Amino acid sequence: MNREQKRAWALVVGMSLALLFVIIAGLLHLLDVGWSRPFVCAAAVALGAGVIACLRVKPDTGAVTSDERDKEIEKSAYLAGFGAVYLFVIVVSFAPIAILGEDGSIPVKYMPGLLLGAGLCQAYAMSIATLVKYGRGGDRHE
Amino acid sequence: MAKSEIQNRIRRLRFDHGEMTQQQLADKARVTRQTIIAIEAGKYAPSLPLAFRIAAAFGLPLEEVFQYTANGDAPPDD
Repeated sequence: MNREQKRAWALVVGMSLALLFVIIAGLLHLLDVGWSRPFVCAAAVALGAGVIACLRVKPDTGAVTSDERDKEIEKSAYLAGFGAVYLFVIVVSFAPIAILGEDGSIPVKYMPGLLLGAGLCQAYAMSIATLVKYGRGGDRHE
Repeated sequence: MAKSEIQNRIRRLRFDHGEMTQQQLADKARVTRQTIIAIEAGKYAPSLPLAFRIAAAFGLPLEEVFQYTANGDAPPDD
């Protein structure tokens, strides 16, 4: 497993856990059960741990650490990230109308959050694309 | 998954050349071992310069290492 795969794994695991905790927190909040705040905290911790793990992955050793295939995979990952951001923008553009109706309104203070959401969406899509292209695990030793 | 149209004899050639390891071939071709594994498995079609470098690592012409098959059938291995 190379450095990019390890970084992608760290982000995918961290972000997936964070997403799971956010969904649970949202459901608890909607059902008015309480206990949603600890899940939001857990989501933040999972996301932070994923990002820290991603940043702490050591560089690959060896004479050649990147070649034409790595560059090709990187390009595909960027393309997937761009597509994910585009999809995210489409969804958040229409979701308020679909949920609140044509006369609904949302506070503008939520707008900067869209930037964060788009960034997370891009990182997630890039990590998934990287893992799909490289394969999930290591490789055979001969 | 559809078979690649570019078939190769890298695995056989490695063993014919003193059981060359994937890492040794990767170093000679200036790529990572993962790329050699992917090419050997037919999961990645190398660029023309890389294909030439791999062939040069074995001291053979390109067509003795890589074969093009229109329908993805494996070429006869000797």
